[in-house]
Amino acid sequence: MSQSAEGVQIAKAGPRHGLVAADGRWITMGLGVATLLTLGLPLIVTALWSLMNPASGWFAPDILPPSLARAHWREALSDRTIPGAFLTSLLIGVCVTVLTAVLALPPAYALAKLPFRAKRAVELFVLAPLIVPGIIVAVGIGSLFFRLGLVYTIPGVILVQTIGTLPFMIRILAATIEGVPDDILHAARSLGAGPLQVARHILVPVAGPGFLAGGLLTFISSFEEFEKTFIIGAPFVQTLPVILWTYLGGRVIVFPTAAVVTFLLLAPMLLIFFLAERVLRDDVLAAGMGKV
Amino acid sequence: MTRLSVPMTAAILLLPGAGYLALLFGLPLVLAVLASFGVLTRGYDGGPTLAFYAELFGTRAYVDGLVFSTYLALVPTAVSLMISVPLAVLLAQSFPGRRLFTALNKVPLVVPGIVAAFIVMTLFDRGGTAARVLAPLGLDLPKLVRDDWAIGAVMATVWKTVPFMTLIVGGAMASINRDVVLAARTLGAGPVATFWQIQIPLALPGITAATLLSFIGGMGAFAVPNLLGPVYPLPLSVHMYVNAFERANWGLVAAMGTTLSAISCVVLLAYYRVTRGLRAAGGAR
Amino acid sequence: MAELSLTSIRKTFGDATAVETLDLSIANGEFLTLLGPSGCGKTTILRMIAGIAMPDAGEIRIGGRRVDGLPPEGRNVGLVFQSYALFPHMTVAANVGFGLKMRKVPRREAEDRIAAALDLVDLGRFAARYPRELSGGQQQRVALARALVTEPDLLLLDEPLSNLDAKLRDQLREDLRRLQERLRVTTLYVTHDQSEAMALSDRILVMRAGRIVEEGAPEALYRRPRTRFAAEFLGQTNVVRLIRRDGMAMLPWGEAMPDAQSDSAYVSIRPEDIALRPDPHGPGRITACTFLGPTVEYRVELAERSLRVRQTGSGTVLLTEGTGVALSLLVTPHPLAEGMA
Repeated sequence: MSQSAEGVQIAKAGPRHGLVAADGRWITMGLGVATLLTLGLPLIVTALWSLMNPASGWFAPDILPPSLARAHWREALSDRTIPGAFLTSLLIGVCVTVLTAVLALPPAYALAKLPFRAKRAVELFVLAPLIVPGIIVAVGIGSLFFRLGLVYTIPGVILVQTIGTLPFMIRILAATIEGVPDDILHAARSLGAGPLQVARHILVPVAGPGFLAGGLLTFISSFEEFEKTFIIGAPFVQTLPVILWTYLGGRVIVFPTAAVVTFLLLAPMLLIFFLAERVLRDDVLAAGMGKV
Repeated sequence: MTRLSVPMTAAILLLPGAGYLALLFGLPLVLAVLASFGVLTRGYDGGPTLAFYAELFGTRAYVDGLVFSTYLALVPTAVSLMISVPLAVLLAQSFPGRRLFTALNKVPLVVPGIVAAFIVMTLFDRGGTAARVLAPLGLDLPKLVRDDWAIGAVMATVWKTVPFMTLIVGGAMASINRDVVLAARTLGAGPVATFWQIQIPLALPGITAATLLSFIGGMGAFAVPNLLGPVYPLPLSVHMYVNAFERANWGLVAAMGTTLSAISCVVLLAYYRVTRGLRAAGGAR
Repeated sequence: MAELSLTSIRKTFGDATAVETLDLSIANGEFLTLLGPSGCGKTTILRMIAGIAMPDAGEIRIGGRRVDGLPPEGRNVGLVFQSYALFPHMTVAANVGFGLKMRKVPRREAEDRIAAALDLVDLGRFAARYPRELSGGQQQRVALARALVTEPDLLLLDEPLSNLDAKLRDQLREDLRRLQERLRVTTLYVTHDQSEAMALSDRILVMRAGRIVEEGAPEALYRRPRTRFAAEFLGQTNVVRLIRRDGMAMLPWGEAMPDAQSDSAYVSIRPEDIALRPDPHGPGRITACTFLGPTVEYRVELAERSLRVRQTGSGTVLLTEGTGVALSLLVTPHPLAEGMA
């Protein structure tokens, strides 16, 4: 057996086959068209509505508005309501994220690393809020919050949103911590680190990306949460989704203003999303949402 | 420093998260179930009763609402499933721009349901963009928003659900040992047989989990059907809200919530049945 | 069962060349082993033959039939994976029967063949179990039965014993050899373990960096390697530079090299081919002694270098460190065609 002389290049003979017959370029084209129709087009139409010129209007059969203006943007941003709602959303989002992280970290560690009986039962209990529709959670807690005077208050909204974000956070943190090998934690202990030092110097840095992903997801799901916020907070606590609801659900539907609010809602979401694309890996997301 | 026993440490660590959920989720849920039978019901002190269930199942609008809620759980879930599984397979291939499309696919995950509803309105309502584009071609769109079949609501829900399902199904498929799939090929199975006999059964835990979560989301859907659904019937979630905050009929609200939760539990049990065999076989992740 | 031939096969991954243009053939019923360190391209070759990797150029024929354009399911090869790759959601019987089901073999016949295949690997009692209920060795045998039940033209084995512990590995190695001798199925075996390769093969190809370095029957390859790489990869050896003096080739300890017509500068001397005799004036000195049970390993320091020497462990008086020794050859060493490369 010898190597064939001079590395003769033999032309590819016979039909080549991939393990899947589809040609990559066709997939790209198909997905491109689908993405354009389901993401690109809605975004463009929403942008056009927010830029509609109130002087000339935008009526059927015009496919594009006859002229554009920044009037609705100026109006929405000078009015107190919308920027106020943006700040309220931001405040609630940050508070929910901090509260969720503080509450989730200890149980996540216990679920990931400690052996104890009834672990499966605790896991199921922690997941239960995902399995009960949010509306039932909110209405159920409504009667309790009435007695406690928490209805229509920002703390009440923070508390009710945390019920929804806590299960995801515990799941993601537990999955991340589980991925840290026991051996390196034991090694740190044997080198003289106490439990808190191990947490600070080993666990948090190694599991950092997972923690960050969990925090960002919590913030996102708080920022976009509607039903629980609406039921516990509205009409006195106005977040961006609640405001959007009032523009769309009322007797008069105000498309241009709704479009402006939509962009204010989407901008931070998409910003986080694309900045953190590396952190929000599919497996982290799936760990939070998959497998019940 | 004395060392705590492991169960003790575990209990202390579990306390913040689990205690929070017990207090603010478990307790209200238990109270709601009790309230639905007239025990400790806010604004009612007539003793244990089935009157609230009688009212729920004796009122036409509520029964129709329950059926409609189930419809809103079933149809978008089925449609999303038919789109998501092939999409997950497609996104697992290698093609130019795969990373970009995988990222774009996830965008609807962070878009609030109300925004999805707004998008459907601007595109598909009477006089929306779709109608304006089709009008010059002589085509007329059927009524898609506030229509009897809630097609607009289904569209908005599917738009939100597909990325979520694709993510979970894709994750389940990606976790299948690649050698197992190749082994099927060397044993004579073509791509199609391999897909149905190896990949789908092994991804089933993920597929059913996504289906379950989507179904439960539909059961409790509130904002989207409210904005895009028909005037009648209203989903049970809307009746819950109205009875709680406008009529203060908390007993009836509790009965509705308990009924919706019971349906979710039945679906959950069905899920465990379906996936149990696979867990036993070690096929579950 | 059929012969296999690869002609001018080449494979690159991006810039890295996995397999340099190479030819290879296996005769009908032959047991051939590709032996080499990890990353040498041996698994890539096996995967190209199975159809789960595509060569960039060249031809693959099984039994004269050209298969390189065919998908894996069209090639009729049996492949045993390093990870076994059993279907976790199927019983042992269903795993073994999968290939028959794909070939639409009638149910009754399939059942008989599954039973026969499981008996062949001595797993008849486990037909209704699931893979995770079996030990590693049993899973490995299921994988083997699954690959053989379809009567493939060619059996491909990718490091099938590497996930097992040492004792089980020896046992399965013998079983595998007996099975192959009985069925006479043409077999290509991939491994990095030289003792597996020598115990099992009719012929061994030693590979390095995508090339075939040397080939031969196990005994010939071990006793008379032509290349330093093959000599060192198949067990331990001392590659020694000959000293030329007065037209004579001398070994480092001064012994004349018998029939050294070859002008090669290097020879490979196996540790067990050197005899040691305690001699305070001898050219060598023991610097390390390791008792291994069946054998004793010595490190012997000469003027310019050190040698590895192995003696049988039974009844030997151990030579302690610092002992002066004389050395002599037990067999004529084989010159290496290739030097220090």
